Amino acid sequence: MTVCKIKTLKNNTRMSTQELLQTISKKIEEGVTDFDIEACGQHDIGGSSWTKSGGSLTFRITNPGQRVGAMAMDGTKIIVEGSAPADVGWLNSGAEITVKGDGGDTSAHCAAGGKIYIGGRTGTRSGALMKHDPKFEPPEFWVLKNTGSFSFEFMSGGIAVICGYDCNELQSVLGNRSCVGMVGGTVYVRGRIYGLASCVETVKLNKFDKDFLKSGMKHFLQNIGRTELEQELLDFSDWCKIVPLPKESKINKITVKEFKAAEWFKDGLFGDLVEDNGEVFSLAQPGKARLRTPVWNKTKCVNCKLCIKNCPQKAIKENYLLIDEKCIGCGICSAVCPVNAWTIS
Amino acid sequence: MASINVNELQKSDLPWIIEYDESKCIQCGKCTAACSFNAISPCVEFRKSNSINSPDRKFEKVLVIKQNISLDNYCRGCGMCSNVCPNGAIKAVRNKDDKYSVAYRAQKADSFKKGGRSNLNTEGRTLDKIKIGRISQMTDPSLDAQRHTFELRTPFGRVLKADKLNFDTCGEVLYETTSLPPVSWIYPIIFGDMSIGAVSWRMWEAVAIATAYLNEVMGIPVRMCTGEGGIPTKLLKSRYAKYMILQIASGHFGWNRILKAMPDMTEDPAGIIIKIGQGAKPGDGGLLQASKVARYVQEIRGVPKADLLSPPTHQGLYSIEESVQKMFLSMNAAFNFKVPVAVKVAASVTSVSVYNNLLRDPYNIVGGFFLDGLAAGTGAAHEISLNHTGHPITSKLRDCYLTAVKQGRQGEIPLFAGGGLGQTGSFAADAFKLICLGANGVFTGSMLLETAGCVGSDTGKCNACNTGLCPAGIAAQNDNLVKRLDVDKVAQNIVNYILATDIELKKLMAPIGCSSLPIGRSDALITVDKHISNRLDIQYAC
Repeated sequence: MTVCKIKTLKNNTRMSTQELLQTISKKIEEGVTDFDIEACGQHDIGGSSWTKSGGSLTFRITNPGQRVGAMAMDGTKIIVEGSAPADVGWLNSGAEITVKGDGGDTSAHCAAGGKIYIGGRTGTRSGALMKHDPKFEPPEFWVLKNTGSFSFEFMSGGIAVICGYDCNELQSVLGNRSCVGMVGGTVYVRGRIYGLASCVETVKLNKFDKDFLKSGMKHFLQNIGRTELEQELLDFSDWCKIVPLPKESKINKITVKEFKAAEWFKDGLFGDLVEDNGEVFSLAQPGKARLRTPVWNKTKCVNCKLCIKNCPQKAIKENYLLIDEKCIGCGICSAVCPVNAWTIS
Repeated sequence: MASINVNELQKSDLPWIIEYDESKCIQCGKCTAACSFNAISPCVEFRKSNSINSPDRKFEKVLVIKQNISLDNYCRGCGMCSNVCPNGAIKAVRNKDDKYSVAYRAQKADSFKKGGRSNLNTEGRTLDKIKIGRISQMTDPSLDAQRHTFELRTPFGRVLKADKLNFDTCGEVLYETTSLPPVSWIYPIIFGDMSIGAVSWRMWEAVAIATAYLNEVMGIPVRMCTGEGGIPTKLLKSRYAKYMILQIASGHFGWNRILKAMPDMTEDPAGIIIKIGQGAKPGDGGLLQASKVARYVQEIRGVPKADLLSPPTHQGLYSIEESVQKMFLSMNAAFNFKVPVAVKVAASVTSVSVYNNLLRDPYNIVGGFFLDGLAAGTGAAHEISLNHTGHPITSKLRDCYLTAVKQGRQGEIPLFAGGGLGQTGSFAADAFKLICLGANGVFTGSMLLETAGCVGSDTGKCNACNTGLCPAGIAAQNDNLVKRLDVDKVAQNIVNYILATDIELKKLMAPIGCSSLPIGRSDALITVDKHISNRLDIQYAC
């Protein structure tokens, strides 16, 4: 199979992104599956391309523009010699993308499939919004060194591996405020972390994690040409993984009631001024909570027992004594009494 | 109990009519037991027991619930009877031909007093005609309200312009040549000044607990203003004092105990507010009716059980300049110039002159300007003041802010706006719009009452805060009514409401691309009303 070599700068004239991408597309239709592209900052190289036969496509690229491997698909393999600017593997759905140098900002942004390998550092918001469609393999995003701040914002699936190589000077290999709004996926990290979002937790590696890192690391290092680092990077003592906190554990603050019990004045703020044991009275509660109290005048009573019969709380005894714990102070006794022996106030 | 004389009070004169369905009533007595106003009573009716047409005149007695027809014990429409009725047999229905206030004046030869809301028609509020219309989409960074970080704090205290900062250098060391005015960074919502007495001890404590909790557990630095009724000494001596803004008004109630406690205080208070006036009844003083002056209120305030009237003005102050020289100076001196001292006035046609004068304060001791609009509530007021005096908050806040802008002095004396915020159900939106119009923050009392279960409305429901018979235990001073209030639940509700408001403020900050408070960002606002557009100098949209 012949390799199609494309030089995008001829006689000081640069091929536009549109020209380059349409040229690649035409060549693919002609049956070319292997490209060597000397780019000049053109965007989207290697993205959304496929062969009718379902065979693979390979792009070797130098000096690409943004979004190299954007919307790249199963069967595509991209190798960037040197570094790539922002959005490497944006919306990657299946390609294996290797950047031997550094990746720019928002590398692997929204990647939901395939593998992205970065041989250096990546910029801010890398790994943001990575996703995992359960019908397919999860996306993988490997970085040899570190990411910029706000990395893995709103991540909802997939696997990221940040190896923290050559990062001794850094306060955090994930930058500041990493994993804000992360709800799914796993970020493996080796090295110091600072300013991690409160919605995630760091956990020790288990056997499954270690096996994954062992098998993946070899392939990653081969791709970026740094196999000599394998032993150093597989010292698991420096690793941890970041996962989202379970939803229920996010509200772990004490309630107001607990705060009051633990921190507030024991007999209440007004304990020395009013009598108040904190009991809450309901509407029409009997006993001491009632708003009004009936009083029986023995001298007026004609012993008709209408009050006793009508009292809805059965709070009046046969001898007309009031059972305070039952009386709600409704006033029915006073209303039915023919001789005003009951008054309520 | 029906009136026989036409000149006596009639049931049809009362503001609320009790509708009672005796076929559903099981005569459990709960409605009459629950009614704090004693507005309904059980009574026995005589009825004809055989056919109405029968010439045999047979009678029976029937027990029913009846509405009391009285100037003192009358239905306020609070709805407790319906709440407690197991069968839905009773309810209060608004009487659109109400003549109560006429009857009251005609019979008592006294001005009619009430509490609660202004009862001005709330339709057509200015703030409801303003929308947030400048949305960042591709112009500047759009933010994610739930997930990005926002800075919602606002300065409280006198802010000096950079060229007024008294710094000097000694070699490489920068030092202050004179001390700077105290400024603290607080949450832009201040729990408004409701005094111990105006509200029940349980309500006041619930607000205090919510304040402490929001600060210490949630990290939200809200401040609570005590109102003019003192503060429990133990709170003053506790670490929570630093969340409390002490108020001094014309009655100076409660300050004796504050002064006696000062040597034992471990923290400075958050600030002091000198209350000159309030939006609900500008030009009139405080009023706490005797029925609410409970024993503990007498003790804290140092008064007997009597109607407590704070004078309409501070009696020692005769001009704005003198206020600055005397009142601000004294209150600054009280805590050794370490605590911001602000003033609260009712919004008025003259507010701008006052604000302008304060801006020229040469001593830098004016730490905030609180403007209270006419839609504010109150514990008690003469109805005439409540319904007919005052100035809407929005344009006056805007006037004050713009007068400062014209002099390049905006933000030097932080503006706080209040009065009926959240009246139409959108407290966060009201707060946000006022902030965009120039407020550094807002203050609210009525929002706290709403979360506590206040049953009143801006259209005349309940509004009996002045009687001490608040059926929800909020403004009550009757022990058994106060104890209806669940302190834990109220405190939690207030906390929850603030947490929700916090989310909602961010939901408005994010679309306009602001990660810090958009004070004065009136470019974010639009209005569909041409007059509002002209008056507030915001964009007209249609």
